[in-house]
Order: sequence, then C-alpha cells, then structure tokens
Amino acid sequence: MSIVLLIAVPLFFAFLGIILKKAAPYFLLLVSFFNVLALGFISQGAIVIGGYSSFYGIQLVLNSYSLIGLYVVNTLFFVIVAINCFKHKKLSPILLISLAGLNGLLLTNDLFNLFVFMEIAGISAYLITTTTKDPKSTFNYLVLGTIGSSFYLLGLIILYAMFGVLNIRILGNIIEGVVTNKAAVALPFLFIFIGLGVETKLLPFNSWVKGILGKSNALTGPLVGAVYASAFAFVFGNLLRYLFVFSESLLLIVSILLVATILIGEAMAYASTKVREILLFSSIAQAGVAVLVFALGYYTWGTILIALNGFSKLILYLVVNIAVDQVKSDELSALKGLFVNNKLIGAGFSVATLSILGLPIFAGFIVKMNILVAMANTPKFFFVGVILLASLIEGIYFIKLLINFWFEQDQAPRVKYSYVVIYVTLVIALLITVFGVYLEPLNSIHSTLNLVKGVVMHG
Amino acid sequence: MLLYASVLLIVIGLYGLLTNRNVIKIILSLNVLEIGLNIFIITVGFLDLEEAIAPIITLQQRASVIVVDPLPQALVLTAIVIGVGTTAIGLSLAKKMYDKYHTFNLDEMGEE
Amino acid sequence: MKKILAFIFAITLGVMIILSLSNNELFTDFGDTNHYDGISSGYITSEVGGDEEPALVPVNIVTGILVDYRGFDTLGEVTVLFVSSIGVALLLGVASPKRINLNFKPNFMLSVGSRALFGVMFLTGIYIVLHAKTSPGGSFPGGAMIASSILILYLSNDTFRTDVSKFKLGKSLAASGFVLVGLIGLLFTGEFLANFHPFIMDTILVLIAIDVAGGIVGIIDNFLTEERV
Repeated sequence: MSIVLLIAVPLFFAFLGIILKKAAPYFLLLVSFFNVLALGFISQGAIVIGGYSSFYGIQLVLNSYSLIGLYVVNTLFFVIVAINCFKHKKLSPILLISLAGLNGLLLTNDLFNLFVFMEIAGISAYLITTTTKDPKSTFNYLVLGTIGSSFYLLGLIILYAMFGVLNIRILGNIIEGVVTNKAAVALPFLFIFIGLGVETKLLPFNSWVKGILGKSNALTGPLVGAVYASAFAFVFGNLLRYLFVFSESLLLIVSILLVATILIGEAMAYASTKVREILLFSSIAQAGVAVLVFALGYYTWGTILIALNGFSKLILYLVVNIAVDQVKSDELSALKGLFVNNKLIGAGFSVATLSILGLPIFAGFIVKMNILVAMANTPKFFFVGVILLASLIEGIYFIKLLINFWFEQDQAPRVKYSYVVIYVTLVIALLITVFGVYLEPLNSIHSTLNLVKGVVMHG
Repeated sequence: MLLYASVLLIVIGLYGLLTNRNVIKIILSLNVLEIGLNIFIITVGFLDLEEAIAPIITLQQRASVIVVDPLPQALVLTAIVIGVGTTAIGLSLAKKMYDKYHTFNLDEMGEE
Repeated sequence: MKKILAFIFAITLGVMIILSLSNNELFTDFGDTNHYDGISSGYITSEVGGDEEPALVPVNIVTGILVDYRGFDTLGEVTVLFVSSIGVALLLGVASPKRINLNFKPNFMLSVGSRALFGVMFLTGIYIVLHAKTSPGGSFPGGAMIASSILILYLSNDTFRTDVSKFKLGKSLAASGFVLVGLIGLLFTGEFLANFHPFIMDTILVLIAIDVAGGIVGIIDNFLTEERV
C-alpha cells in the first residue's frame, strides 16, 4: 500500500464532505480509523510523486522514525475525533484536512512541500481554534504562524539559491560534503529554526500559546497541545537530523533560546494558578527539552520522548479541559478535589503526570534517564543540569497539582467523564506503566531506530 | 538592486507588524512582508544575460537556448495562493472581532 | 520608545540579511544563478528520471512544474485555498444571508459598463484556462479572472447574489477530482499523480481553475452578505 494514501484519502473525503454534509462526521471517523489501521499495512521506504527520480520530484519517505510519528499522530487524532466529532459537525472537513496536513508534514522529504503542509496544518489549526469563540487569540495565532512560515520560506529559498536542491536528505548530504565554512549557511538555518520555533512553541515566538491553550476546549486543547505539538516536534527532529549543520555561533544562539524556553516555561508554570496555564507552560518547557535533545544529536531517545509525551499530554489536556468545560472555571482552587469522585480518571492522570516528570516505574523515567546518561557521557554537564533543574521545578508544581486534585474536600466538583475518556485514559496509563517496568519493548524500539541510523537513505 | 528592495519590503512589513495594533493594518503589514518575500523568491531565479529568455519554449529548442530559472516562479505562485488563503481567514477573523468588540484596535478589546 | 525599538530590530534584521548574503560565497549575486546545476535543469530539459514522452511536456516550463513535476505542491495549494474558503464560510456564514448594505449606490454608468465588462473578463478567464499550457502561471490567473468577473457583478449591483451553491459544488468536485486524478495514476502506473496521458494535465488545469474560481467566489460572497434581520 502506497504511503501517499495516508494523505490522499483524508483529502478526498474532506473535499467530498462539503457536498455530503450529513455524512461528513462519519467520513471523519472512518477515515481517521482507516489511517490508524493502514499504518499496519504500509511498507517502509521512499516514493516519489509522479514517478520521477528523487532528485527532481517530491519525495515521501517512511522510515522507523516517521512510522513512530505517524502512529502517535494518527492514534491521538483518532481518539480525539472519537470523543469530539459529533460536537463540532461543521468542522469535520477541516479536521480531515488537518489530518492530511499532519501526515504530510511527517512524510515529506521536500523543503517546499513541507512549507505547503505547514500551511495546510496551520490554517486548519487556526480554524479549529475558532471553536473557543475567542477570535482575538486565533488572530494572534494566525499572525505569528504566518510570520513563522514566512521566515521558514525565506530560509528555504536562500538554501535553494545556494544549492539548487529542495530534497531534504540530498541537500543535507551536499551541505555536509561541500560546505567548509559552516557560518555561510547559518542565516538560512536560523530562519528555518525561527519558522519552526513558532509552531513548536519555542521562546520568544510563543506568545500565541497563552491565548490558544489557555482558553482551550476538549477539542482544541488535546489537538493543539498533544497532536500538533508532537507532529511539529517530529518535523523539527527530522530537519535537525537530516538537514541542519550548526556553525558554532548558530549552535550557541539555538542553545540559549532552548535553555531560556525550558527554564522560563517551567518558572511560568510554577507561578501560575490556572490549571490550563500550568499545562501550557509546562508543555512549552517540554517542547524546549525535546528540541534540545534533537539539537544535541540524541535522535532515538528524542523520538521516543516525543511519542511518550504526546500520549501523556493527551490525557492531561483531555481530563483538564473536560473538567473546565463543566466547572466553568480553570482556577486551581475551583477544581480542588476533582479526583475524589473520579478515582479512575485520577489514577490515569497521575500516571501521566508522573511519567512526564520522570519518576521510576513509569516509561518517562527510562527515557529521561537514558537521555541524561547519554548527555553525561558526551559530556554536556551544563545541559544535564538544566534538565535536572527543570525536572525539579516541574516536580514541585505537578505534585502540588496532584495533591490539590486528590485532596478531600466538602464541595468537590462533580465532573462527569464519558466511558470513552475513562477507557482511553486507563489504557494509555497502563501502557506507560508497562513500558516503564518492562524495559524490553523500549530498548528494542531504540535498537531498531539505531539500525536505521546505519542505513542512511540516499534518495 | 531588486534584492535590496525585497529585503526593504520585508523589513517594512516586520516593522508594521511590531508597531501596529490595528487589525487591518496588521493584515496589511503581513501582506507587505509576503510581497517582499515573493519578490525575493523571484529575484533568486533571475538571470541577467542578453540571451536568457522566459521559460516558455518548445522541448526541441530547449537545448539551444538559456532560460531563467523556472522553479522559483512556480514556487512563488504557490506562495501567493497560500498568502491569499491566510489573508482571507485573517480578514474574516477581523470581521468577527469587530462584531464582538466593535473596534479594530487590539488594545481596546477587553479580556472579557 | 516601542517604535524605536521595533525600528532598530527591523533595520538590524534587514542589514543582517543583506550583509550575510552579499558576502556569501555560496549565495549567487543578483542576476546570476546556478540553476543549470540544480533541479531546475531537469525541469528545463525534461530529463527528470521518468519515462516521459515529448508530447506530454507543456511549452510553458512553469506550468509543467506546477501540474506535473511538483504537482503535489499544487494539490496542497488547492487544499489551502479550499480550506480557507470553507473557513471563511464557517466564520462568516449565516443561516439566511442577504447582501450587506454598502454606503455607496452604483450609478447607471457603473452598472451598465460592468455588465459589458463582465462578459469580456469571463471569456478572457476561460481563454486563459484553456491556454494554460502556454500562458504564464498555469490556470490560476484564469480562475482568479473568472472570480473577479463575478466580483464586478457584486460591486455594480447592490442586490446581486450569485448562486453560491453551484460554485461550492464545483469547488468541491474539482478538488476531489484532483485527488481522483492522482489516484487514477496510482492505480494505472503505481505512482500518485503520474502523468501518463496528455489528458491528465489538461484535466488538472481545468480542475484547478474551477477550484480557484469557486473558492474565491465563495470568499467574496461570504464577505458581502450578512444575516437577514
């Protein structure tokens, strides 16, 4: 089965969904389910649209990395859609297009095609966030997103003018081989970094996040906070792996930005009293960690980190947003004792937070441990210190959050979770624990990914 | 020279984005930025030779003449259409905001 | 103060771009390119690794790139236009639309003149679409021209509304037809959007024009209508 179907099928049904309005929500459900199923049958490798040689045509590449990315994005997307699709029927075609855009982002191996998919995913995200009825935040998101993609486009055009090639892997090889003075390519890479930094929520390009995720609902919170965040982190990882060549000054700028993102994000989360803001600031910090891990070259553990964080974030945003929808307030004090009446949800939520935090017996611990060990071996003690400090701050506010949620109180808020939500939360929490206790699966994923590293694709 | 002009347009657009608080002016600045970018893309493909021609030519003659780079022209067409899409969404959001707050100024819109 | 800071920031960025590009050994000067070394050479000579017959290569290389070599980008572009037009409808659409009350009333000259102009613009649009293989820009300008001929009607008559549902239907069918053409290629040759028959490129060009016209007309109509009270 050709990998282009993952993009073409959602697009086709999105276009049809405009005429067949009644069927559109069912299209959405069926197609997103089809995409998850199809992942089991597609073959890895590269194809070129139109059958040209990979140098000239637009190439789509599926390797173990992008397969993990696709699994994460499509599974999360299906879960979110299954919970929400009948609440926002009018959005069905737009959601399908955003699914196509996200899959395209993960698959494409062409710089300009990546820009097109960024815009498709971006525009559908702007439209999806209009469901929060706050046009001001959406407008802010749109302006920043457009500036970001304009910078990305500027960077890619400069690269094209220099080397005449748009295929990411071929371009990366050329730069690696030809360029002796790395500072000569620093400018386009800086622009591409800024462009992706807007969507990945890196400082100082993330002022849209507060309006979008701080006022999210049960659709936009998990979608933007978990699915889009993981997809763009994977794209960032791909570019850092196959394309980026850091000159020393560029690496310095990038590291400063990332460390600032991590620390300021954690500090803001610590200072906040609103539950949704705590989550969004902590995800800014985690995005910084993920990009930092990629920028320092630990691609395999970075990939697993993003995948795990994606699933954990889904639980966090889902649980909190449903509660906020029903309580009509996202102050921490109003949500005190949320889990007293919802013990199952509470258990799942706690597992997800503790895994993000990196406590033992959860999968997040193993990933964080391995990243830190790898960093200490290189040795990059400064970054080890930054991540440990971030985890410490994270620990304080997450534990505070959990204590507040579990704390017995007379008027604990009554929040009803549907069975689907409970089921999804428990399954993900169970998986996180299982992966955390049995090291075998994670290590085997790690070694498969390492195997890929040996066989670098030459188009 | 055209390269400087395009960078100047990008700079003007960026300055407008940083200083304006009026929604319509922000959208205009965004468009100025995009136009500067599009001119930049086009300049990248320009070939300043007497014999260089526009890339419209039959296959048989292609080996014997020099044409300017056709790829940036194709890319810019895509970029223009994408710009139209974002502008349309931005303007409809502006209309939505005006319906809600009765002003185009971002600072005068309350936090509810 | 804020303005000065913004000014300094913007100027610094501009100077940084110009300085680092003009002193760059990799970035060619204005008026000088090395595109015959890169992927453009393949597009110009049509030696791109496929087994393409000369009959399938359009005279206009830009059109060839748009609908053939990089047709996937164009599919994405059509998608962007499509999603923004349904987005505008989602944001501004109302249950029972009527024309918005504008401050100015079209005079006699405007309404007669624009009707005459409508025919010319509409036919020119169709002409450009049909000659997209030779004219610059493929069929996008043609589609945009058809849409602007409808816009002229909107501006010259303050009660006019076109039958938007037909344009919507056309837009939707055209966009899904584009994907379908790609899937046909996948079915017959094993490659998505394969260009194995001269008919393929013509179909795609016409579909793009319909999609562009439908999308823009939908956007115009949504901006010029409001809820009936």
